[in-house]
Amino acid sequence: MKKRNLLYQALGCAAVVFLFLVPLFRLVLMSLSQGGGYGFGNYAALFEDSRTIRAIGNTVVIALVSTLLSTALGVLFAFLNAYWNLKRKKLLELLVLAPFIIPSYVITISWTSVLTGSGELNRVLRLLHLGPVNLYSLGGIIFVLGICNIPLVYLTTVNTLRKIPRELEWAARAAGCGRWETLFRIDLVQAAPAILGGSVLAFLSCMDNFSVPAFLGIPASIPVLSTYIYEKAIGFGPDSFSLASALSVLLSVVAVAGSLTMTAFAGKSRQTDSIRPDFSARIFLNQTARRRVEWIGITVFLLLDLVPLLNMTAASFQKIYGQRFSPANLSFQNYRFLFTNSGVLNAVCNSLFLSLTTCAVCILIGTAAAYQKLRGKGAAVRLLEFCASLTYAIPGIVLALAMIFHWSKIPGVYGSIWILIAAYLTRYLILQIKGSTAAMLCIHPSLEEAAHVAGGGKIRMWKKILTPLLFRQTLSSSLLIFVSSLTEMTLSSILASAGTKTIGLTVFNFQQSGDYNIAYAFSVLIVILILFGYGLIQYGCRESGGKKERSPEHDAEGTRSSHKDALKRMEESIL
Amino acid sequence: MSLRITHLSKLYGKNIALSDVSIEIGDGEFLCILGPSGCGKTTLLRLAGGFETPSSGSILLNDTLYSSPEQCLPVERRNLGMVFQSFALWPNMTVRQHAEFPLLRKKYARMDAAEKNRLIDQALESVGLSTLSDRYPDELSGGQKQRVALARAIITRPKILLMDEPLSALDAELKISMRKEIQDIHRMTGATILYVTHDQNEALAMADRMMIMKNGRVEQIGTPEEIYLHPRTAFTAAFVGKYNLLRGIWDHDRFYEESSNACFHDRTTCSELKEQNLFPVRPDQFRIVKQGDGIEGKITNRQYCGREIHYSVDCSGRPVTVYAPVREDYDLNDTVVLIKKEETD
Repeated sequence: MKKRNLLYQALGCAAVVFLFLVPLFRLVLMSLSQGGGYGFGNYAALFEDSRTIRAIGNTVVIALVSTLLSTALGVLFAFLNAYWNLKRKKLLELLVLAPFIIPSYVITISWTSVLTGSGELNRVLRLLHLGPVNLYSLGGIIFVLGICNIPLVYLTTVNTLRKIPRELEWAARAAGCGRWETLFRIDLVQAAPAILGGSVLAFLSCMDNFSVPAFLGIPASIPVLSTYIYEKAIGFGPDSFSLASALSVLLSVVAVAGSLTMTAFAGKSRQTDSIRPDFSARIFLNQTARRRVEWIGITVFLLLDLVPLLNMTAASFQKIYGQRFSPANLSFQNYRFLFTNSGVLNAVCNSLFLSLTTCAVCILIGTAAAYQKLRGKGAAVRLLEFCASLTYAIPGIVLALAMIFHWSKIPGVYGSIWILIAAYLTRYLILQIKGSTAAMLCIHPSLEEAAHVAGGGKIRMWKKILTPLLFRQTLSSSLLIFVSSLTEMTLSSILASAGTKTIGLTVFNFQQSGDYNIAYAFSVLIVILILFGYGLIQYGCRESGGKKERSPEHDAEGTRSSHKDALKRMEESIL
Repeated sequence: MSLRITHLSKLYGKNIALSDVSIEIGDGEFLCILGPSGCGKTTLLRLAGGFETPSSGSILLNDTLYSSPEQCLPVERRNLGMVFQSFALWPNMTVRQHAEFPLLRKKYARMDAAEKNRLIDQALESVGLSTLSDRYPDELSGGQKQRVALARAIITRPKILLMDEPLSALDAELKISMRKEIQDIHRMTGATILYVTHDQNEALAMADRMMIMKNGRVEQIGTPEEIYLHPRTAFTAAFVGKYNLLRGIWDHDRFYEESSNACFHDRTTCSELKEQNLFPVRPDQFRIVKQGDGIEGKITNRQYCGREIHYSVDCSGRPVTVYAPVREDYDLNDTVVLIKKEETD
């Protein structure tokens, strides 16, 4: 028995090493290879190129400034939603979190539709002598990335704020602190680690993001590391792959270092642990002030999220790009093109297949791994968790390169859809492991023991006890994987071949080739597709959760809507 | 100087948390607000602290308006200290920083550092934490945490100390010893203390006056002796003194128990309970005998407690609790008679 277990563990470790670690190892090896031997020549060559220095500079500036932007807005709205007696909090939260489920390239495209050179907004700005705003610039990239990352800061901050016990504030008030002083001296200080953690997440996300700089930076020839790697990788040349690898290693080192700092900060902070979040208001405004704050908040996010999306929708019905809206210019021709074009249909099928497969496999492996991690012991699971975190922490473009180097050695994978599946699994598995672990933590081992005592076998226990209890939470945590892989662009931009293009890559190609109106129409379809998928999972959750199965935790929390639940899972997944 | 609460009510939506509470609390008085959970005692404390606004009524300190539905003096300007059941220590500050925190306010900007240090040392000394001044809250035990909270609350010598079940999170042994410390602090500071608790022993032991609450209303206000010996409502009798409430008919000082033909003499029962045809008898006021002129019953439970034995006696379907000395030893299902001890006074 013991020997067999050892064998299983060894096999598991070997599989994890082969699937997760060897690709990264090959990437590092590639970055060191030059001519026939090994050395640091590639790195030296990179630093001689002024474009490299510019790319690094741009990356750092973009990441820092847009992180500041997302932190400021994310923290502000987290405070508003957690403490103030606002109404319409759900609407506000939904608007704040919208960029979380809408892919960043759709947000980028929607903003480019608002800020076209001759668009309405620029016309107005020109009249006001504020000049046309060009989104294809450093500032544009910073702005769009800033919007995209608000949810990361918001989510990490808002729950911490809710968990700060009200008594901590009251004690300060009794000690002579005013309301605002208390907010700064007590709440902000207590929440600082979470805010810092959220900002580091946002910073990493900026480093990782490929689509925004690809859409806005490549046309304006503003290189950042991720697009620079992409250009090198798809470019030709004797050592373009080696140079791309060397750049990748540089970028990964920064990203992983960032992750480690975050973990270090999170571990160091002195937090009062495991307190139930308090959803009631702490700061009371009178009715006029309350209304004003509500509407300002909602307007800000309507302007940031919804207006660009609506503008993009309107633009998607235009025949000719860049003209004023007029009935003569309206048509369905962009949509007709999308629905009849075989390439588009193919891409949608590919992405659906990819995301469903990824979800299914992730749920199976992730839940099994979570079970092993909590109930059993074994080196394989710990190794898997470590490696899966690593492949999630490194930027997507880097992982894509590593996947090429690794899977091209195995016949029949590179160039087919399997390399995409492999890449998606490597990328997203950690999300499911975390989600399933969180779900399983709510099930006390005694429930299983009770099932054993009652005479159920292992299969029966899974069927009757664990599956019903885990179903809802597991499914809602796989929502993030589903949406991410459905709209994924970074990995597929490098790994997809002619027949295996994905939705994201197809949109990218339309935008690159100047078919802006078709890109708008496709983006509208993507948003609809996401909302549909989101709704479907919500429905699935409600169906399963509404009837009778309630995990102990959910009983205590009462009537939380499944929407909140899904967001909570998401948050658990990213942390 | 006094804290005057007049016709104070608090509604949460349609829920009545507090209904028409009035009391005048003297300078330096130790008032215990006692009641089961959900009786409104914490709401009353929060209103007194200014953390909530009343729905009607008012709170005045001397002639200064503290709280009314229209106007509420902010907490920080009320000159009070507060201690919480959950300790409410800031996890990022040391013991010394907690005590120092109230002195960092603008009000104390002109106090020189040496004086501040002296005050901090004194406060930490008085709660016995001088040696732990550099510890963080997660390095302290429950009792030590509550002492930090006490030091923080008394450092500015506030006129009013609010205590919200400060001992409820501590274990039984520690509770008893902390009672003494709180009494010491009361004597030392001379502050008016509003002390909320659900533990009647705590209230009886420490209070100058007690206020018994139920469902948002005041049941009875009085000294511990009055409350314990002369309860005016059935609830106070049962909650504080663990009285058995016998039903029957009063005829002046005579009480005829309804299920037996027992007759008791009593001159101390208040008229309110008499009108309800109730006769309160504490478990220690009964004697159990084999035969006699009293209420017949059957022993249904017996708990040996060392100094005494607690019996549950079933008297015609009504349970009666009796505390009897250990020498009066009866077995389960024994048929017995309960008679009332003669008052010694």
